[in-house]
Amino acid sequence: MTPSTGYLLYLLFAMGGAGLYLLLPQPGKSRALPGVALSVLALAGLLSVLAVKVIAPSDTSAYFCLFSAIAIFGASRVITHRKPVYSALYFVLVVISVAALLVLQRAEFLAVALIIVYAGAIIVTYLFVIMLAQQSHETVYDTRAREPFFAVLVGFVLMAAITGKAVEPATTSEAKIVTAQFAQQNLAGAIEGLPEGNTADVAAALLTKYIVVLEIAGVLLLVSMVGAVALSRKKIPVEGHGLPTRPLGQIGKEVEPF
Amino acid sequence: MIRDEDILELEEPKLSAAERLYLPQILGGMQTTMVHLGKTLLANKKMTVQYPEEKRTLRLENYRGIHRLNRDEKGRVACVACFMCATACPAHCIHIEAEESPWDDREKYPAKFDLDELRCIFCGMCEEACPVDAIELTPHYDVVGRSRDEMILDKEELLSIYDKTADVKPRKNPRITGYPEVGNRSEQGPSDEGEGL
Amino acid sequence: MTEFLTSQFGVSIILAGVVFGILQGAVAYCIYFERKIAAWIQDRCGPNRVGPAGLLQPLADGGKMILKEDVIPGHVDKNLFVLAPAIMFIVAFVGFAAIPWGGQLELGGKLVSIQVASPDIGLLYILGVASMGIYGVVLGGWSSNNKYSLFGAIRATAQMLSYEIPMGLCILVIVLTVGAIRLEDIVLPQTAYWSDVIPKWNVFLHPLAFIVLFVTMLAEANRTPFDLAEAEQELVGGFHTEYSALKFGMFFLAEYASMITSSALLAVLFLGGWHLPWIPWAQPEATGIAAVIVKMLVMGGKIAGSLFVMMWLRWTLPRFRFDQLMRLAWGGLIPFTLGLFVLTVGLLYFDKHQSPLWTLGGNAVVLVLTLAVAGLSRRDVTGRPASLPSLEGRSLTHGRLAGDVS
Repeated sequence: MTPSTGYLLYLLFAMGGAGLYLLLPQPGKSRALPGVALSVLALAGLLSVLAVKVIAPSDTSAYFCLFSAIAIFGASRVITHRKPVYSALYFVLVVISVAALLVLQRAEFLAVALIIVYAGAIIVTYLFVIMLAQQSHETVYDTRAREPFFAVLVGFVLMAAITGKAVEPATTSEAKIVTAQFAQQNLAGAIEGLPEGNTADVAAALLTKYIVVLEIAGVLLLVSMVGAVALSRKKIPVEGHGLPTRPLGQIGKEVEPF
Repeated sequence: MIRDEDILELEEPKLSAAERLYLPQILGGMQTTMVHLGKTLLANKKMTVQYPEEKRTLRLENYRGIHRLNRDEKGRVACVACFMCATACPAHCIHIEAEESPWDDREKYPAKFDLDELRCIFCGMCEEACPVDAIELTPHYDVVGRSRDEMILDKEELLSIYDKTADVKPRKNPRITGYPEVGNRSEQGPSDEGEGL
Repeated sequence: MTEFLTSQFGVSIILAGVVFGILQGAVAYCIYFERKIAAWIQDRCGPNRVGPAGLLQPLADGGKMILKEDVIPGHVDKNLFVLAPAIMFIVAFVGFAAIPWGGQLELGGKLVSIQVASPDIGLLYILGVASMGIYGVVLGGWSSNNKYSLFGAIRATAQMLSYEIPMGLCILVIVLTVGAIRLEDIVLPQTAYWSDVIPKWNVFLHPLAFIVLFVTMLAEANRTPFDLAEAEQELVGGFHTEYSALKFGMFFLAEYASMITSSALLAVLFLGGWHLPWIPWAQPEATGIAAVIVKMLVMGGKIAGSLFVMMWLRWTLPRFRFDQLMRLAWGGLIPFTLGLFVLTVGLLYFDKHQSPLWTLGGNAVVLVLTLAVAGLSRRDVTGRPASLPSLEGRSLTHGRLAGDVS
């Protein structure tokens, strides 16, 4: 990994960030075309740099590029699309392509759990709410992004930092190990050694090594569930203590006798 | 306005634990449907009539199919053009043009008698209203035509339906009612009317 | 070439084609039999004009669906409107990949599975795919831009989300009992016998979980008595009101395909999959081509039986009301299946989870406890709010007016 690769990556991230900034919904005339061009260029550049420099060539790297491109495309559409229903659906696309990436890493259990939990339950609930709440015309908060510049800046600086750190030549011994592991993770080498089915391994790790974390997560979920129940049980005061305002027996409009 | 005392508040029956389990009731219902399924399949007890091949037996007396105009004993149209059927018809599908009768036992006869079978609702009111039982509904129901005009039956067509169905369903009451016999005619009407007889 | 054909990958590809083809036909004939069974139950004949005994009716229906005008109304969201039936259809057919159809086949000295794919997480794969089916309904209903469709979609979503929980719990009971989530590994232990007579099918261990799973599968497939999403009297056609021609046909086929998937899952989980006692070809040791065909027929027979009960129920029961439906899931099935789950975990701890005496006794205890709780908390059918004034003195109870003395 040469420093020039790192700078190339930073440049690509800056390009991507600029493209996304142009794509974010803002009032005024549309700047979609340059945004799309910049983003596509950045994405293609990123993937080719990764493919050439970082990922060791193997029979699955094409799939990796494909699904990660879909995931990044979907993620950018989640925040740039003006209709919330479409945003939620692009979120589903992201989840599915990330699940596919997990399958490539032989983490089938995680992949399916991701689909069941996110795509099958959580995003459906989002859609449910959006469908119930959405007005027929586009609302203001859907057509303009809040703080688009800073959001894009922070997001892409973080991404650049992480990626740059991951691909930069290791200096300390600890970082060397991390980098070495990362290099091994490049899809071909380490995975071949994994057993065919690893659900039992996941379960064993969860219930032995990470038992405390698991319990804490469970307690957190319980707390949030209790909170949700408490919130939804809040009584909304109705005039006359829940009784119908008109006397029982007068239903609907009052009609004169004919 | 709905008054309080007009309202009946219904209290639904409370369900027992077994009923709230649903399963006993569901099994009972499944038994009923299974019995029907078995009967239909094994005992071949089907209610369906395979229409073009099989035909239902109809009650001639009161089945309301296409109309006919009856003939009297001498083969003339029995109608006396009294317009009772056209008046009674809720669908206004009968059109009669009356003329002086060429025969001497009645005053008028229908020169034209058009019946629009597409407007008709087959209620049978014309049959009820007719004083001489001239218009009747037959058990003949498969009426087809390729145009709307074809479905407007004129006098000849209605009479020909009588010819086709007279064997199956003879005219209910062949005697022309309401007119006195020839013998005591002079007591009721003016004499000049009697000249035609 | 022969090497490819005898490898697992080759067999999988061939099987995928075969299964897809057979299922298309099976789904079409499901519709035929649905109509036949409805007719028989109602003392009628059913379709009998097209071909002998009406057997060509599905072809005629398919031809009609294809040739009809495919209307896309002007007020719909076009992309999603087209996407929704496609999602439904794909999801309904992708689930078949993990079903073990006929044990193992010996080909050129090697054993290959008669299964399109055998993922380690087979059961979860089917659940995950099935959970994606909601999107077809939701998007179809929403994109139609029609309030009845939207109501249908909302009802379907709430219903499918609710019934996924007891369904998952029932499946967990079996997973705990068998100790595997790969579908062949769930079938194999069921091919053993108790005292050489009764096969160790899971239905004999957990009959209540079997019934509850069947009920939740009806709800997941939007079948009567849970077909609130397409309640004709209230919602015209529900989420597919605006659909016509082939798109409607895809919704229609997808419903039956998902019925077949859930029936296959039911057969694998509870009825021993392709296993049938005392038939030598339907044992795990038999690996010849004849054995595989017999096993597939056995599996098909079990699926057909389950489908028949589904259809039978459809023409027996009226529809639930929506609040009853929700109460059945959240107030009835979820506590009940949680009870079964706790029971199974307890038996697992004492290593009695494979003993029919203990599991059946435990099932009885859970049932009696549930009935006792239900009996103690007798409730109105409609659940009239307690805040409303009492009906004392002017209520009509069982046809008689209580306060009316005149």
